Amino acid sequence: MKDFKFQISNFKLIAALLFCSAVLLLYSSSARAELTINANHDHIKIDFFYNGSTVSVSGVSDPDVDLIVKISSADGYETLKQKGKVAGILWMNVGTLEFKEAPNFYSVHSTKNIEDMLEKGEADKYVLGYPALERHVEIIPAAKAEEKDRWFNEFLKYKESSKLYASSVGRLSAQSKAGKGLYCIKLDWPYQAPPGDYIVKVYAVKNKKVVEKAETKVFVEQVGIVKRLSGMAKDSGALYGIISIIAALGAGFGVSLIFRKGGGAH
Amino acid sequence: MYLYLPVALTSINILIPVGLGLAVGLLSGLFGVGGGFLMTPLLIMFGIPATVAAATDSNQIVAASTSGTYAHWRVGNVDFKMGLYLLIGGFIGGLFGVQAIKILKATGNADFVIKMTYVLMLGIVGTYMFIESLQSIRKAKKGDDAHISESSKESAFGRFLKALPLQTHFEKSGVTHSLLLPLIFGGFVGVLAAIMGVGGGFLMVPVMVYILRMPMHVVVGTSLFQILFNCIEVTFLQAYTNHNVDFILAALLLLGSTVGAQVGAVFGRKLKGEQLKIILAIIVLAVTVKIIFELTLSPSLLLSQAGGH
Repeated sequence: MKDFKFQISNFKLIAALLFCSAVLLLYSSSARAELTINANHDHIKIDFFYNGSTVSVSGVSDPDVDLIVKISSADGYETLKQKGKVAGILWMNVGTLEFKEAPNFYSVHSTKNIEDMLEKGEADKYVLGYPALERHVEIIPAAKAEEKDRWFNEFLKYKESSKLYASSVGRLSAQSKAGKGLYCIKLDWPYQAPPGDYIVKVYAVKNKKVVEKAETKVFVEQVGIVKRLSGMAKDSGALYGIISIIAALGAGFGVSLIFRKGGGAH
Repeated sequence: MYLYLPVALTSINILIPVGLGLAVGLLSGLFGVGGGFLMTPLLIMFGIPATVAAATDSNQIVAASTSGTYAHWRVGNVDFKMGLYLLIGGFIGGLFGVQAIKILKATGNADFVIKMTYVLMLGIVGTYMFIESLQSIRKAKKGDDAHISESSKESAFGRFLKALPLQTHFEKSGVTHSLLLPLIFGGFVGVLAAIMGVGGGFLMVPVMVYILRMPMHVVVGTSLFQILFNCIEVTFLQAYTNHNVDFILAALLLLGSTVGAQVGAVFGRKLKGEQLKIILAIIVLAVTVKIIFELTLSPSLLLSQAGGH
């Protein structure tokens, strides 16, 4: 009986080994490598001591393609205060601008300059690169093209200053090995990126067209005390306010008593 | 060490808020101001969203002003009666101020009016306090004769105040005024503070010193007492309606500010009234200059988060 079990497990092992070898053989003999994507850190937990993270995006591609990696949140809209000159000398807020179809987070990295490697229509279709994003985003009220261009550039400055937008050329490294392309990029994940789903996509580009794409997700979530406190601030504002006030009063009195005991007040 | 702030949605080195709290708390204990006009812009500079910065600062001031009021109360420097009337006036004024802001926003030039009110108020208060305290320091050096001539000079305004109905004696401050006086001037500060989105300590202190003629040390304690109640109200409203109070950030700030307020109260007792006034005047003027620079130099970013002022 014992021998029989041993034989079954042996058989399973051999079968598994054979299957793996077959897959590997098929994989290596195929002319093109299927585009794959993997994010090493796909579930980022925001805890009490969170100060950002790092995410490595890597995968396999055809060896003779150019690559673009894009990480973005869903399209949304954002209303921002707009500074302008009043009376010729004073800088102050003169109104608001609404940015429609603009993702809160947009990080795009390519092996070469996107405008050189991709047709404009293709870049627009997949919203790849800042120029394509500018054409995708609607700015209200900015009817004229030059107005839109000016305020989109200001928008990029604002977003990049809070680390929510980033772009690079060449940081995404690709190399070929045994007839396959291997690509990888290591990115600092900013603590400013709020909780939510982030789509990570890789695009393979050949002859100025996107020939293949693959995607994965990075999920950012608050956990522990952070989750409880932010939930409470949103859902039970009155109780949260009262607790904050009582805690502040308690701290004020507490410190006063310490100083009194220590004789620091005289 | 970094901590993540659950409402501000940002991470901060804990030494920054503790240090800021200590510095601003010190000023609070010394001069009887909440310090919002210093703290809020500093927090924004360190990446805290503007709306969260203002709301959280008011929560933190609750702790600092409790600590400061207690320290001043122990040496008999809080006039609760005067504080109460100023508070009632300030509350009513605040309601009018909030309506004024709504009307201004509807007309579309709210920011201009707010900024100009801020610069003018800071500038006028700072300059007046600076000149006045400089003069009284000089007079004090010359001798007491100057005080007599000063009191006879202002007798016209004094007579008018004495003619108002509902005269009552404020024992702690050693002054007799009409009850209408703290109500009206408290209300005036309340309107302006609501328009500017600040606590208004830097306006309330001069009102108590120059119009209500209270002694500087009682002014500081009484100002802190009424700031405490203002900030309790603001914290609750901010938490309840705007969900903008970051408790972790407030806790870090108050670690510094409660201690700072105690130290400030101790230092304050060693300084003379005129010296306190002139230092506060210099700080107020420095903030005025900073705002004027901000208004005239090209900003690095032309877009900012909407919400709040």
